Amino acid sequence: MMGWLGEIFPTGRATNDPLLSFMLFYLPIMFLIVYGQKIQMWMVLNEVGRALKKFKVMRDKARNEVIDHIKGFVRPDVDLTKKVDGFLEYFTISPVDLDPSGIIRKLDHLMFVKDERMERELELLAKDADKVQLSVMENLLEVASELNYIYKVVRHYYLLGKKMANLYILLQIQMLMPIILQEAEALMGAIDGIKAMQPLGDGIGPLVVGGFMVGKEKKRLAKDTVIAEDEIKGRRVIFMKAEGPAGNVGKPGKAIRRLIDEMKVKIKLIVMIDAALKLEGEKSGEVAEGIGAAIGGIGVDKYEIEEVATEYKIPLYAIVIKESIAEAISVLRSEIAKAKDKVIEAIYRLIDEKTSKGDVVLVVGVGNTLGIGQ
Amino acid sequence: MGLFTFRKKVKPIVYTIEECPKCGRKVKRKFKPGDYVYKEGEVCEKCNAKMLITMIYAETPT
Ligand SMILES: [Zn+2]
Repeated sequence: MMGWLGEIFPTGRATNDPLLSFMLFYLPIMFLIVYGQKIQMWMVLNEVGRALKKFKVMRDKARNEVIDHIKGFVRPDVDLTKKVDGFLEYFTISPVDLDPSGIIRKLDHLMFVKDERMERELELLAKDADKVQLSVMENLLEVASELNYIYKVVRHYYLLGKKMANLYILLQIQMLMPIILQEAEALMGAIDGIKAMQPLGDGIGPLVVGGFMVGKEKKRLAKDTVIAEDEIKGRRVIFMKAEGPAGNVGKPGKAIRRLIDEMKVKIKLIVMIDAALKLEGEKSGEVAEGIGAAIGGIGVDKYEIEEVATEYKIPLYAIVIKESIAEAISVLRSEIAKAKDKVIEAIYRLIDEKTSKGDVVLVVGVGNTLGIGQ
Repeated sequence: MGLFTFRKKVKPIVYTIEECPKCGRKVKRKFKPGDYVYKEGEVCEKCNAKMLITMIYAETPT
């Protein structure tokens, strides 16, 4: 029994020299007990520091890409670097939620002001750019400011942990690092696609719906949001998406509200098509059906759609296409593109099963419509 | 991203698919700047009708 243990925990019988056994076995243990945490701290600090450098490189690269892209549209005497740095630091203060009633209205207003401000300033800055180009700049700025934010938050915890010599602050940021890194890499991957104005994974909803709108007369119902009509199996079907090929998401909430409230269209069924975040292990491009308002974002549009659907008792059906965050914000992958036919099939089936001849159906494609016309 | 495998970074190639509304012919070609989905494409070789871009997607070469 003492055979192999004896080698690890010498009892004195193994060696005759007590000083040697003390130096070899007890000293390191004591050293680790006293300085172990310091060593661990040093290692974690190193690792977080390295990741921080990576984030900085990414942030700077994104920032330079934005500057590079806008440069072509700006008078040479404008200090673009300063301007873009200003854009990256723009913040939005969320409304007070102590009394949450009415908060959506405030959020909606804040988002409106935020978007308007950015658009107006970009318009002034890049006078030669058209609408599509402006939307590309906005999308790029959004990516860059997200990376800027990530960098600054990681830096905050790194410096805080270092200053306070607090291992636990550092451990928290270290544990989250793989997820944050994945997100940052996804953002970096989005830049090329946005610059080339290629459809994003998030655009699969509008891509499917846009196909039904080709060659039909389009009407604009809300900012950057258009509809077109067609007849399918004796039903009047209204298709809605953000106006492409600019990188817009539109205002589907407002548009649906207008369609039902103002234009008094008696809708029997709403079908929403959107990309949805897949869980690890789920296959990209899988199509799933359910009920509810399939729309992400801050919640303003979702609220509006749920409100109006409830008010008029319109059933809300959702068709979602599964994809990861990285896939949603980078160029549409072939696996996701393959879902197009399945979604079209599902639309026909839903219309067939849930409505009868003469009914009006609304089909909404939700998502960023960059590189997708109609 | 396996534990012991190294991810080789292969840049995906972006393709544009054009479809002829008349004869249904499909053409897959590399993406060109200015392409967008549901934009009029080139003239169909078979029936001289204007083709339509119906898909743009990225594919990793294997
Ligand atoms: Zn043809």
